[in-house]
Amino acid sequence: MSFLLVRDAVVFASLLTMLSTGLTLTYMTTKVPNFAHGDFAAINIYLALTLAKLFGVNPYLGIAPAFLLGGIIALTLYIAILKPLLDRGASYIILMIATIAYDMILLSIINIVADYLSRVHKITSRLFQLREWGYGIEIAGQPSIVVIAPLCAVIMVVSLYLFLNKTKFGIAMRAAIDNPSLAETIGINVNLTYAASWFISGGLAGIAGMLVPLHMTCNTDTGVKLLVSIFAASIVGGFTNIYGAFLGGFLIGLAEVLGTGYLAIGLGAWVVPYRPVIPLILMVLTLLFAPKGLSGVEWSKLLRRGAA
Amino acid sequence: MMDFSIIMMFLTNLITLIGLFSIISMSLNLEYGYAGIPNFGKLLAVAGGAFFVGAIPGRILALLYNHPAGIGYIEKNLEVIGSLNKTLASSPLLSIAFLILSLIGAAFFGGLLGYVASYPAIRLLVDYLAITLLAMGEILWVIGDNWPPLIGGSMGIRIPDPFRWVGSQYRPILVLLTVSGMALLVFLYLEYVSRSPLGRILRAMRENELPVSVYGRDIVKLRTKTLIVGFAIAAISGALNSLWTVSVSARDFERVRHTFMPWVMVIIGGAGNNLGTLVGAVIFVTLRELIIFYKFYFEAFVPFDVVWLEYLFLGLALIIVLMYRPEGLIPEKPTKTLSSERLKELASRIGSAEKPGEKS
Repeated sequence: MSFLLVRDAVVFASLLTMLSTGLTLTYMTTKVPNFAHGDFAAINIYLALTLAKLFGVNPYLGIAPAFLLGGIIALTLYIAILKPLLDRGASYIILMIATIAYDMILLSIINIVADYLSRVHKITSRLFQLREWGYGIEIAGQPSIVVIAPLCAVIMVVSLYLFLNKTKFGIAMRAAIDNPSLAETIGINVNLTYAASWFISGGLAGIAGMLVPLHMTCNTDTGVKLLVSIFAASIVGGFTNIYGAFLGGFLIGLAEVLGTGYLAIGLGAWVVPYRPVIPLILMVLTLLFAPKGLSGVEWSKLLRRGAA
Repeated sequence: MMDFSIIMMFLTNLITLIGLFSIISMSLNLEYGYAGIPNFGKLLAVAGGAFFVGAIPGRILALLYNHPAGIGYIEKNLEVIGSLNKTLASSPLLSIAFLILSLIGAAFFGGLLGYVASYPAIRLLVDYLAITLLAMGEILWVIGDNWPPLIGGSMGIRIPDPFRWVGSQYRPILVLLTVSGMALLVFLYLEYVSRSPLGRILRAMRENELPVSVYGRDIVKLRTKTLIVGFAIAAISGALNSLWTVSVSARDFERVRHTFMPWVMVIIGGAGNNLGTLVGAVIFVTLRELIIFYKFYFEAFVPFDVVWLEYLFLGLALIIVLMYRPEGLIPEKPTKTLSSERLKELASRIGSAEKPGEKS
């Protein structure tokens, strides 16, 4: 087993886990698949580029601002667009279209920033990478991104677990997800918990976006391209279960990188561009055979049947 | 005179584009406006039609006229197409047959894509369907851009020109007539569908699926049928686009222009209403072409490509319409029912059936 390939896979899987978790969280609360989620990350890819190239700031220091920026972008979508539409009784198809419209606005901003950076400041802003930060700086003999990305994912999993199970607000959020009207009658501010879920979701996408260029080549359409993997990860995870999203993100991330890597070794480098086919196939298989995802499969029943 | 010819060129180009986009938008109107299916995979249908035209009809023609049709068709693409074009230019009949068969083939291929792409999620919530269709569109794009045997990979491919026989001077006019003729045909067909019992059932399904299935209609079958027809229509637009530019490349197709723009046209024009969709197509294609036409004048003032401002504007416009005028510029009209005379006639027939005792 190639160590480098596994290392790559773990980094990508960690980033994807942060993205799929955020997407699943907002789907659980607002029940709308957010088509702008990829570009929540992409905005922060350009924040990383601006910090590193324009101000010479270490992108790792940008993690906190990225969480904030991503959170604010997501919160804006919820408060300014989705909530008013929900109040007007819009169907969830209308909400989906609204997220696509918001995605257009983000895409436009991303491209304007990229054009500005390249035309005014002569910074390569398309097909760029910041690997000198991710792989140039080492922590304990390993490239820093190989340590930081999984660390961020683990911190996210642990803190989300603690938040949802041990804090009053987190438990209120779970109640608001399970039964909004019942939650409201016992005095939970459902709207506030939903808004918080959007902020957390955008924030996680922001962190992932800050770290992505340290690992791989990025472009203005990276968010758009990542969206297929993020949706696949969320659907494989079950889309209505936060722990499923952890698992789905990690599995799809590993499968994408390891699958492409081993197929390229076996069949030749021509398979590399077809990498997005892997998450799609896994997503289609999930939809066909276990539409509720990994978290929806009744494993105990399956195991018992297997044993009998 | 110079100015006049530029304006003429701009106008022919514009009207052809309006025709192409109105076909895509009307197909989306069938899927979303009538049946309520959020098809975020319009790119899949349009690119599918174009890729079909790039890959298949030219090869068949090459086989018929003893040119290489395998990988040689890609490698000696220019030579083969040059020679085929001479044959097509000298024979209007062959050109027209080639055009019609290409379009029919593209429609069939589009319908097939629609069936295959929607199959995994057609029984699930429409969210999953929307996500799957969007993802499939991206994947088809990746395949078109990377697999040379299909349409030459990222280099693209040239295809035989079925409009050449009228001469280069009249070619744009013939293309314009063909495209607008096709758009008219699609419009009439969809109007017919919307007034038929099928159109009413689709609307009923959009409003509430449960009663429709209670009355014995199979929701999955209705959705599948709608998507197959919608995909076939959108594929025709993609095919026409390629036959017009006589080349196919995955790079010509993108999610923003071929999925998002039609959505903007349908929603802002007025969903569930073919006329509104046409109005939407006219507005947004004109706007886009004007921006591109005057691009150089804007560029002096801003340090970025003005096309991105168009995205920003479209996104904002869509959100504002969704919030303040969700029915669009031209709202959907109440469903056409039977005429009052026919209703009276039916009522009297029912009346007489209810009182058989009086008659006998």
